[in-house]
Amino acid sequence: MIRKHTRRAAKAAFAISLGVAIVIGLFAAVLVRPAHAKTTAAPTIVIGTKNFAEEFILGQLYKQALEAKGFHVSYKENIGATEIVHAALTSGKINFYPEYTGVVVQVVYHHASSPATAAATYQLAKKLEAQHGISALTPTPMSDTDALAVTNASAKKYGLKSVADLKKAGAFKLGGPPTCKTRTTCFLGYTKRYGITKASFVPLGIGLQYTALDKGDVLAADVFTTDPPLAKPSKYTVLADPKHVTGFQNVTPLVKTSVLNAAGPNFAKTVDAVSAKVTTAAIAAMNKAFYVDKQSAKSIAAKFLKANGLL
Amino acid sequence: MSPLAAGPIIPNFGHGNSCVTGDHIFCWSWVRDHWNDTLGPALVQHVELTAIAVGIGFALAFTLALLAHRFARLEHPFGVFSALLYTIPSIALFQLLVPLTGLSWTTVEIALVAYTLVILFPNFVAGLRSAPAEVLEAARGMGLTRRQILLRVELPLAVPAIIGGLRIAVVSTISIGTIAAFLLPKGLGYPIFVALGNPTPFKTEIYSAGGLAVGFALACDAGLVGVRRMLSPWTRRGRT
Amino acid sequence: MDEAGAHVIVAGAFTGAFRFIVDNPGFLATKAWEQLQLTGAALGIALAVALPLGIVLGHLHRGSGVAIGASIVGRALPSLVLIGVFLTVLGVGFTNNMVALAVLGTGPILTNSYTAVDGVERDVVEAARGMGMTRLQILTRVELPLALPLLFTGLRIAAVTIVATAPVAAVAGGGGLGDIIVNQASYRLSGVVGASLCVMVLSAGVFLVLFGLQAAVTPRGVRRTKVAGDPE
Repeated sequence: MIRKHTRRAAKAAFAISLGVAIVIGLFAAVLVRPAHAKTTAAPTIVIGTKNFAEEFILGQLYKQALEAKGFHVSYKENIGATEIVHAALTSGKINFYPEYTGVVVQVVYHHASSPATAAATYQLAKKLEAQHGISALTPTPMSDTDALAVTNASAKKYGLKSVADLKKAGAFKLGGPPTCKTRTTCFLGYTKRYGITKASFVPLGIGLQYTALDKGDVLAADVFTTDPPLAKPSKYTVLADPKHVTGFQNVTPLVKTSVLNAAGPNFAKTVDAVSAKVTTAAIAAMNKAFYVDKQSAKSIAAKFLKANGLL
Repeated sequence: MSPLAAGPIIPNFGHGNSCVTGDHIFCWSWVRDHWNDTLGPALVQHVELTAIAVGIGFALAFTLALLAHRFARLEHPFGVFSALLYTIPSIALFQLLVPLTGLSWTTVEIALVAYTLVILFPNFVAGLRSAPAEVLEAARGMGLTRRQILLRVELPLAVPAIIGGLRIAVVSTISIGTIAAFLLPKGLGYPIFVALGNPTPFKTEIYSAGGLAVGFALACDAGLVGVRRMLSPWTRRGRT
Repeated sequence: MDEAGAHVIVAGAFTGAFRFIVDNPGFLATKAWEQLQLTGAALGIALAVALPLGIVLGHLHRGSGVAIGASIVGRALPSLVLIGVFLTVLGVGFTNNMVALAVLGTGPILTNSYTAVDGVERDVVEAARGMGMTRLQILTRVELPLALPLLFTGLRIAAVTIVATAPVAAVAGGGGLGDIIVNQASYRLSGVVGASLCVMVLSAGVFLVLFGLQAAVTPRGVRRTKVAGDPE
């Protein structure tokens, strides 16, 4: 026999669950609705970043500096690798992100190699982007290229000083971010331009290259020159790249030209002021603060901007 | 033209304590320092993510189950759909939805609701069916209408199955929700992805975010068991 | 991006996916084989650990809390967390992912093998004891054959779970089709969809193989008894 209290309990349970579900559904509808566009004169700067810490730091630098000057900024961190973030830029999902000059030339526009100087690389990037309604703003002094690193022990064992020396190592494994495999600034460039035929590629999540090197899972790994483990004294040897396969990689903020024009002269001035302060030493220190001292990108950027009068 | 200064001033960013820089097994200091800016928000986002997915999934599954209880034809296609859904890696399903619904909460929620639905629906249907035939006969004999039978007999008896399904669904959603961070920098999966991207994968961040996710899931599970005991005391003797 | 555009993109992604599969059969086959190896190794460990334990506990009718609890805890362990934790302990590559996935598969196998052996009808066991069978004989000739359907269900659930979760391991050097799925930047959405379709085919294949194995191994008399599987 179903007793009265059970009936009541069931009714209560049903009513409560339905009520909760409805409330949550409404809550969801409110939360999940797309952000409404602002109808102020200055456009909203939608900043995106790529998927590694240096980009998070750069993104925060530009974001906080622009906000300090009264711009309305929407921030989308960690969208993905170059190809995805650049597609987001061209399709209008974001209108600003920090990119590297050589990456624009070789990865976005698929040139086989970069020009011979940093300045020429920037000019070419600027020209290529302008054809797509994107402006490349003044580049930073800092440069962060890909590089091949090996452990000091391996360097000694095979006598490795430059990328070409890897031919002495016979068949070996080269690790790097998954996107490295098909890029001329990376695996494709290293193997083709230096004639290395016996390397097999091992995809690793960004950041795991050092773990893989330490454990001997790979002989060489594609890393970034501003990574903290490479700061002297380092356990790793960076192989010289005389053919500049990895190109020149100063950071240039890419902005939709329409947004640049609508935002007024103060916009470019603010961005350029930040870019001018980002030297290789500065970004290396900021990377270290992030990776080694575990500060957040937000606080690192804030400290740096404050110290340099930009906040 | 503002003259370029001699070079930027590089402030002292402060050194992490030796526990953090040495990447020891677990640094409570880091957890304390970064609760407000990393772990806390991630937990809140994860709770939101789960609540929305389970709420919508529950409402949908309940409605569909009531319909299927009346019109049995819904069940078979649903079974096929759910078997298929579980073979799609969640990390792929998220990416596939992006062109349709953008890089936003909506995309993540749609995928999570789908996974929740396929767990809840069969459980709800089975629960509604679990009323023994004799009891239904007796109720009909007493002159209860179809609606009254549903509300006073079938639903209360379905409570254990409903809660059982909810337990599995909530825990699954919390688990799959960590993968959502591959797409959006939200939820407890995000600190883990970020920590993995560190040249020395940061143990404390992985363990603390992971611990929070597991703890949250186990707490929800225990909570639901408590709810079931409250609502259906006659099952106290039975198995889980 | 308007509605029509979005649908075109998804439709394009699917046709592109088939073209990707047709264009890269060798590559996909290599990746699929990598994934099978990882899956097989992980499943093997999970079986070696959970199966004997579940059977023994079920036979002794003890430790139900452990057996059932294993599933609950197992479900509460997100795959990403397992992969992250084992990466910090075992490094990058095959081993760490194998162990992480093995942990994932242990729950269903332990719970199901326990429930299967524990759930064999007492009358049958009594009858066997009455016939003079030793404990071991009861286990191997009575309980195990009757437990096979539910046992295999657990195995199938574990296997499909591991195959479908393995792609995430790619972020920790696990290889397999996940390398493509987490790398939309290089392989575009069509590559991601193509590789996902391959994962689904792999899942289905594993499911069918295990189903066939179960049919081959289960004595005919037992096959007729219907056992309700986990609604997962």
